[in-house]
Amino acid sequence: MNTVVIPVATQMLFHNHLRFAMTVIGIAIAFFLAAAQIGLLVGWINTNSAIIRHAGVDIWVMAEETRAFDYGTAIPRHRVQQVSSVPGVVWAEGMLMGWATWQHPAGKRINVEIVGLDSSHAGGPWQLISGHIDNIEQPETVIIDELSYDVLGLRELGDEAEIEGNRVILGGVSRGVRTFTAAPFVFTSIENALKYSPYYKDEEIAFVLAKVEPGVDPGVIRDRIAREVANVEVLTTAEFAERSVKYWMLETGVGITVIITAALGLLVGAVIMSQTLFAITQDHLGNYATLLALGFHQKTLRRIVLTQSLSLGGLGIITGSILFILACNASASTPIPLETTPLVSTGLVVFSLLCCIAASWFSIRAIFKLDPVMVFHG
Amino acid sequence: MKSIMTCKGIAKSYGTGDIVELVLKRVDLEFFEGQASVLVGPSGSGKTTLLSILGCLLAPSEGQLLIADDTVNFSDKSSLTEVRRQKLGFIFQHAQLLPFLTIEENLAIVGRNAGMQDDDIKQRLDGLLHRLELKAMRYKHPAQLSGGQRQRVAIARALLHRPSIVLADEPTAALDWNTGKTVVELLLEQARMEKAVLVVVTHDTRMLPLFDRILSIADGILSEQAQTAAAENIFYTQP
Ligand SMILES: Nc1ncnc2c1ncn2[C@@H]1O[C@H](COP(=O)(O)OP(=O)(O)OP(=O)(O)O)[C@@H](O)[C@H]1O
Ligand SMILES: [Mg+2]
Repeated sequence: MNTVVIPVATQMLFHNHLRFAMTVIGIAIAFFLAAAQIGLLVGWINTNSAIIRHAGVDIWVMAEETRAFDYGTAIPRHRVQQVSSVPGVVWAEGMLMGWATWQHPAGKRINVEIVGLDSSHAGGPWQLISGHIDNIEQPETVIIDELSYDVLGLRELGDEAEIEGNRVILGGVSRGVRTFTAAPFVFTSIENALKYSPYYKDEEIAFVLAKVEPGVDPGVIRDRIAREVANVEVLTTAEFAERSVKYWMLETGVGITVIITAALGLLVGAVIMSQTLFAITQDHLGNYATLLALGFHQKTLRRIVLTQSLSLGGLGIITGSILFILACNASASTPIPLETTPLVSTGLVVFSLLCCIAASWFSIRAIFKLDPVMVFHG
Repeated sequence: MKSIMTCKGIAKSYGTGDIVELVLKRVDLEFFEGQASVLVGPSGSGKTTLLSILGCLLAPSEGQLLIADDTVNFSDKSSLTEVRRQKLGFIFQHAQLLPFLTIEENLAIVGRNAGMQDDDIKQRLDGLLHRLELKAMRYKHPAQLSGGQRQRVAIARALLHRPSIVLADEPTAALDWNTGKTVVELLLEQARMEKAVLVVVTHDTRMLPLFDRILSIADGILSEQAQTAAAENIFYTQP
């Protein structure tokens, strides 16, 4: 059967080279636009939950109703001991997260997010390109990301600036710590951070990060901590990452906008496809009628149209994907990276192929209405 | 002689209500293996209509069509397609080859659709292209062929899957006399070789002596002429 469907379908498509090429390009661009939208979303999501996911802990304890990582608020530091004494917890550490004003050496003032790390630096930067993480134990010493060189005005180890009137010295540079809010992250020790963060009193922190025993379900320990420690909210790492992402994506409207734009991109692709396919089918209705008269079944003809739609779509998707991969690579070291996950990519391709099938509907209907008796009437 | 196709009381009218046009009043006919018939009649007399019914493309208003002793079920489109796929070959006024396929591909897809094996298709293709003097055209596209060559390809396409019945509606109308005559002669020769029932509609009375049987329709009635007298006795005006 395919030895009929495939040659007829493809040769009919290639017959008009120009129309074929334009359609593939159109679909490729539409697919790329949709993929880029979703890639931005995934990039944002990854950025937004990066510190949470890279911390290497299983449980986050925080003030009740903390909406996102960036909105950490004060809880007493002795919660760390309370959490670490809960059975099933291997260790627990504090983390401070607070907003502060950074004084650029050239005079600008910038909002930064100060992240104060505890003794083993859980939740700190996961890749350093200069300096050492232990440097933050020194007074007034911080680590910034290479992406914020210009914004913060520091470049060499030992360079100085000010936060809230206190001196800061650059003790290390990280790679890949992007900020979702416009404010760059500045890593230091909890002790240093307390000096820089006007909203925290001594012996206050924002989060307790806990590691559970290997093989134990973090959900069980989460419930146990929630029962034993008062006035806090306890989430697993996955839950906290999801909450942060949801906050930025849904409650701020960013995500909905992106999803609608992506869907519109795919819709444009589907319309282009539908138009071309219908035009091709119309051009060849006489040939389809001939095939019907010669004893080709309706379902064979429908498969021809479907094969055409999937070939156009497949080529468009492949071309669009190549563009997307290039764009991902090009944007990898920028503050707005395009990223994707296997699930998202698969979903996008499957959804696009479904659009292709839907786009063949008008053409298939036209074929369905064909009466082969017309072949004798020219 | 083996009976291949039988019409029993076939009538066809177009339209409904007050404006019913009775095109075929009652057609009783039997076609035998290897027999070549020509169908003539004035324009609008119902030749194409009858051919469409024989070709399982149009349902008669009354009567039955039997192909190889099986009554054709005109209410089931898919079984009609099945009959066409296996038992029928068609030649149209304009060859109606698929313009985007080569000559070889135009023929091969019919063989594949009929479920023939690749080796068989290849042999059949070689044989038919040779007999119809189309070997040089094999990898060309229809647009590169003359009208007569295209009709020869159409003959090959109609015969490739060894149908027991071949129907042609004015296959030479678009060709000049000499080309047309060659095409009809080739068609007759090939159909006889394949022992297929052949029914050809034509307006050209000069073709009549070439056929075994002459059928003519007028006023909805089909009648058969004696072959010898035929050439002189049929008069009608061409449109
Ligand atoms: N689909 C249709 N609906 C209504 N009337 C039709 C239809 N097809 C054919 N007719 C009528 O039936 C009659 C016979 O038509 P048909 O095409 O069979 O004639 P024909 O003998 O093939 O003519 P020609 O020599 O001009 O090809 C004509 O009067 C035509 O108008
Ligand atoms: Mg006619």
